[in-house]
Amino acid sequence: MASRPLLSRATRIKSKLQSSLEAAMVEVEDVSYQHAGHVAVKESGASETHFNVNIVSQKFEGQSLVKRHRMVYDLLFDELQSGLHALSIKAKTPKEAGLNN
Amino acid sequence: MATFNLSSPKHPNSPFVSSNVPSRISPVVAFYPIPKSSFLLSSISLRLRPITIKTESKTKARGSSYVVSALKKLSDADLVTVPPETEAIPGLFPSDAGVYAVYDGNGDLQFVGISRNVAASVLSHRKSVPELCSSVKVGVVDDPERAALTQAWKSWMEEHISATGKVPPGNESGNNTWVRQPPRKKSDLRLTPGRHVQLTVPLEELIDRLVKENKVVAFIKGSRSAPLCGFSQRIVGILESVGVDYESVDVLDEEYNPGLRETLKTYSSWPTFPQVFVNGELVGGCDILTSMYEKGELADVFQK
Repeated sequence: MASRPLLSRATRIKSKLQSSLEAAMVEVEDVSYQHAGHVAVKESGASETHFNVNIVSQKFEGQSLVKRHRMVYDLLFDELQSGLHALSIKAKTPKEAGLNN
Repeated sequence: MATFNLSSPKHPNSPFVSSNVPSRISPVVAFYPIPKSSFLLSSISLRLRPITIKTESKTKARGSSYVVSALKKLSDADLVTVPPETEAIPGLFPSDAGVYAVYDGNGDLQFVGISRNVAASVLSHRKSVPELCSSVKVGVVDDPERAALTQAWKSWMEEHISATGKVPPGNESGNNTWVRQPPRKKSDLRLTPGRHVQLTVPLEELIDRLVKENKVVAFIKGSRSAPLCGFSQRIVGILESVGVDYESVDVLDEEYNPGLRETLKTYSSWPTFPQVFVNGELVGGCDILTSMYEKGELADVFQK
């Protein structure tokens, strides 16, 4: 039986995105508290439900916004299955983010 | 003293004042729009009493400045024939706010309305009821406040009623000929007639048809008039402010859209809501729409 993960969801999200997308920058902010009264959250009783994700990756180059968001969602499939409810995603390439790479 | 009930442009979200926004009642046969309720038309009572209207400036040249003129009396306003070719309408009528009176081919007054864009309203009337819309009188109202428009409307109505003793047929209560459904009041689409009805087609196929037969479809949580989620609310706000005609579907409505939430996630390979489709393609959720909106890219997407 799988034990409950010790790391917070934010940490897990961050490391998954970091490693798979070779991200130049990943910021993950747990904003679940802003949605505490939200219908779907109340129903499920989950606590880590809403996150802001700010990610910069070279792998986004040449991809549409929909594609970029799908890449992020695909990586977080397990989290979405286990109570992650909504992500607010900012997905940029290093160039768009103004980072020197 | 007589009291008439006149159907009037008094609803807070009245279609009259912005009827240049295209709207339509959902024509989709395969789905089930919620029956329209009849609260769209509210009435005011108008007491008949002689009023004085300032007419001192009626002799002023019109030309470029509508700004100077006080409202003309109905009887003094010029009757302008509506051309058969509707493209010419915007050039013939001012696209300013004002009161307008529509006459049929016999010269009988059919309707008095107000609009923030008279030319656009005349155009839409001409398209929807060409036989009743032969010529139009316009009184531009300089002050675009609703109160000023309503006052102008009242004065023309009172003038007509005191002259003829009759209310224009289009303004009688219960007459919906001239009223357009405001876009905001459009109802959400339902995928099924109810969960008790066995579907003969798979839900995926219904979704597929829905997004392909309608140009813009927003799958949201809650209804478009009362979204239950902040992200859905923002989507509705964006679509309304862009002014695009769109359909909305409530993914939380398990009675009429049973199973939609999970099926749609698979259909679109997108795990969250809201989701906006244009021409059958997923454009994105709240983040993407917001970002496109802020960059001014949305209008282009909807035009395709």
